Amino acid sequence: MACMHDHSCEDHDCSSDWSLYKHIDLPKVSALNEAIPGSVKSVFKAWEERLLSSGDNLESNEGDPELLVYIPFTSDVKIKGISIIGGANGTSPSKMRAFINREGIDFSDAQSMQAVQEWDLVENFQGVLEYQTRYSKFQSVANITLHFPESFGGDTTQIQYIGFKGEATKLKRDVVATIVYEITPNPSDHK
Amino acid sequence: MVLEATMICIDNSEWMRNGDYAPSRFQAQADAVNLICGAKTQSNPENTVGVLTMAGKGVRVLVTPTSDLSKILACMHGLEIGGEMNLAAGIQVAQLALKHRQNKKQQQRIIVFAGSPVKHDKKVLELIGKKLKKNSVALDIVDFGEEDDGKPEKLEALLATVNNNDSSHIVHVPSGPNALSDVLISTPIFTGDGEGGSGFAAAAAAAAAGGVSGFEFGVDPNLDPELALALRVSMEEERARQEAAAKKAAEEAAKQEKGGEHPSGSQDATMTENTPPEAENKKNDLTDEENALLQQALAMSMDDPSTGHDLRDTDMSEAAVDDPDLALALQLSVQDSTKDSTSQQTDMSKLLADQSFVSSILASLPGVDPNDPSVKDLLASMQSQSEPQEKKSEDKPPKEEDK
Repeated sequence: MACMHDHSCEDHDCSSDWSLYKHIDLPKVSALNEAIPGSVKSVFKAWEERLLSSGDNLESNEGDPELLVYIPFTSDVKIKGISIIGGANGTSPSKMRAFINREGIDFSDAQSMQAVQEWDLVENFQGVLEYQTRYSKFQSVANITLHFPESFGGDTTQIQYIGFKGEATKLKRDVVATIVYEITPNPSDHK
Repeated sequence: MVLEATMICIDNSEWMRNGDYAPSRFQAQADAVNLICGAKTQSNPENTVGVLTMAGKGVRVLVTPTSDLSKILACMHGLEIGGEMNLAAGIQVAQLALKHRQNKKQQQRIIVFAGSPVKHDKKVLELIGKKLKKNSVALDIVDFGEEDDGKPEKLEALLATVNNNDSSHIVHVPSGPNALSDVLISTPIFTGDGEGGSGFAAAAAAAAAGGVSGFEFGVDPNLDPELALALRVSMEEERARQEAAAKKAAEEAAKQEKGGEHPSGSQDATMTENTPPEAENKKNDLTDEENALLQQALAMSMDDPSTGHDLRDTDMSEAAVDDPDLALALQLSVQDSTKDSTSQQTDMSKLLADQSFVSSILASLPGVDPNDPSVKDLLASMQSQSEPQEKKSEDKPPKEEDK
């Protein structure tokens, strides 16, 4: 299911294909079992910058390579392909399972539920590998949850970059995103 | 104001019968639980809190996470003490209850009251801790009651495995004169990770620290927020009025004109304003604050008439525009002062001593029943205050007459 780029990227601009990162609702991205809370946000960037690691990758906790990443989009998208750059020394994830449009999945749910699609990953440090999706199932994705159950033998799982290829529609799923009650307003909430 | 779902794990084992925390460990725990529930729901209206018991016949969820405080308070009644606490099972059931919370956007938190000895191994606790951390559940531990060998270490180890970025806390509360809830108020369990805390927690902490066992005016702002608000507003209004009156008195003491009347006018208002809050106060005691205010007011009426009394100006329309009773009172005070300057000190007290006058004022006020025992007590105490003063002034005139 993986396809290799058989052309050099100077000829045509691959980055425009991988532009779905612009439609990710970054503040609401969350991950379970990450060692540093909030580090998951750093893995979503432009395709050109995929190899630039700013130092904080997404890393799972010591001794436990399972990772669960929840990615909401700002509008419904169609996903054609996913690209993952893992870490060195066996810390790349070896499997990936995707769940669509389900919120609040935790590890026990992820392990027992049937995923929409599963992939076996290979170590891919250049980010040129793309994992295709069964496009018919990924037609209107408001949020996607990626579950990485194992790594290539490493103690932890590291992810440097996650890229999505596809199209964004202009449709939005929820009109009311968050409700804030201000019965007793607290200025520190509005910083 | 983090959006949070909390499960509180209560220890209702046999060890909770002990009385080393007043009145009993179990009661102290119940008070702490009530306070925590209040703090959580106040800090964010969408927060939910649930309760489960760890001992007894087995781990039992009393209330699933809800934002309805009355449900939580109700379930704390009629809890039975017995059995042994099962910490591991309790935490796991709490985690399950949180997993099925209705609003998935809420952060998950478990608060454990560990009062009896912990029979699990450190290893078991660490495994549980890892699972909690993996699912990003925060854990607060209140270590009180039995001081077993190794219990603090086990709990600290559990906290270390769960702790993610300082979101989990442990508090060791030794038995002593301070109530469990008072000790907890100042901890991060209440104040919520130093985000600035909730106003409730801060107010309760200030009240506890100030030595007042409760809140302003003896009324719990949570149980009766409207009453507390009304009391606070009337107190502030009174202060503002007194300040305005004092300002005017200062201005006109310079001119020496009208100075004495306004303080005495506001004096009356002070008296009447003070009595309704006191009458409504179901706790039926004159708190120190109000006594002090009363003394202050009396002192004011003592001082000022001595300054600008020679130039009596009967133009009191401003002060008495709304209240005919007030006008009457003012006139009385004026007349008495013009008669006898030495007995001016007893003007106020005479007026107050005139029970029929005072009760007529009280009757005209809404919500005050002159036959209320608390009002009668108040009048009696005011009379007894005015009596020694009357005696004093009566001693003076005879002395002067003698001379």
